[in-house]
Amino acid sequence: MPVVVIASPKGGSGKSTSAVLLGTELAHAGAQVTMLDCDPNRSLSLWGERRALPPRMTLLADVTESDIVKAIQKHDADGGIVIVDLEGVASRLVSRAISQADLVLTPMRATTLDATIGARTLALIGEEEEALGRSIRHAVVFTMTRGIESKQHRGIEASLGGQGVDIVQPALMERAAFSALFEFGGDLRSMPAQGRMEEAIKNASAFAQAIYQRLTEAAQ
Amino acid sequence: MSDQPKPFAVDIKQLKSRPKDTSPAAIQSVDRAGEQHGFVARDATARRGRPPSPRTGQVHAKVLPHIADEIAAEATRRGVTQGILIEEAWALYLTHKSGK
Ligand SMILES: Nc1ncnc2c1ncn2[C@@H]1O[C@H](COP(=O)(O)OP(=O)(O)O)[C@@H](O)[C@H]1O
Ligand SMILES: [Mg+2]
Repeated sequence: MPVVVIASPKGGSGKSTSAVLLGTELAHAGAQVTMLDCDPNRSLSLWGERRALPPRMTLLADVTESDIVKAIQKHDADGGIVIVDLEGVASRLVSRAISQADLVLTPMRATTLDATIGARTLALIGEEEEALGRSIRHAVVFTMTRGIESKQHRGIEASLGGQGVDIVQPALMERAAFSALFEFGGDLRSMPAQGRMEEAIKNASAFAQAIYQRLTEAAQ
Repeated sequence: MSDQPKPFAVDIKQLKSRPKDTSPAAIQSVDRAGEQHGFVARDATARRGRPPSPRTGQVHAKVLPHIADEIAAEATRRGVTQGILIEEAWALYLTHKSGK
């Protein structure tokens, strides 16, 4: 089953939020989902402790550099989609996780700083592709975007697009419901309404669907 | 045909996944690739355990708690490190063993 690795050495770029939204929406759509929390700050585990996990989800905490490859291999084999959440650092754990990915997803805010640091992941993937002699699919998702795109956002999007980077549509908008996931645990459907809940659910579901689409396409 | 979008449902038969190389050789080459881009080992295991003493560059042996307490109290009383007491004890041991 496919393995989605969420990676950017930039902290606060929206990795854990993207991981939870992707996992909960895919599970809601009927998939078995295994979440691997590889961040020593344990964002996913804290989310998982707030409330019982939604149906069809499992969460494995404290995955480290020395057991990441085995952990992915084990859960890859047991029929669910594997989602790996990483710490926002450049580490060997990150490069090992990427080597086991069917899709690497790099969330970034549409700022020059995020894009510059996020680009380190692209460079690393290129290097790993060479080392492994296989291609590794990669996509960027913009996070915390506003209704009206900034000039900076459009510039970064055009520049990445020009480099042939796959950009996930829709972006994840800045929404109270998304940050509240870590306060309430569970998924968007189980939490008390936050802001424009229906819009938030629509956004998250369309995002998960865009990732699902990529997971159904054969590797090049 | 309806113009309502279909609710999103995952069909697991449509999911594609490729075999991944988990061999030590593959991981080693991935580690090397990562290092070239500054993705280096940061696991806590490298820092686990007691740090070496700055005086001697060594890790001290562990002893039973009541002996540790006595050694600590004696070192504090004399104002020396515990290592010095152990060095003295070792000197006594050698003297004793050589039968002098
Ligand atoms: N789309 C979003 N809308 C609102 N808040 C967000 C969104 N994405 C992330 N956040 C908030 O931004 C902060 C950092 O996000 P997080 O997902 O933890 O980033 P990372 O895992 O990359 O460090 C958190 O407080 C989170 O709640
Ligand atoms: Mg995180």
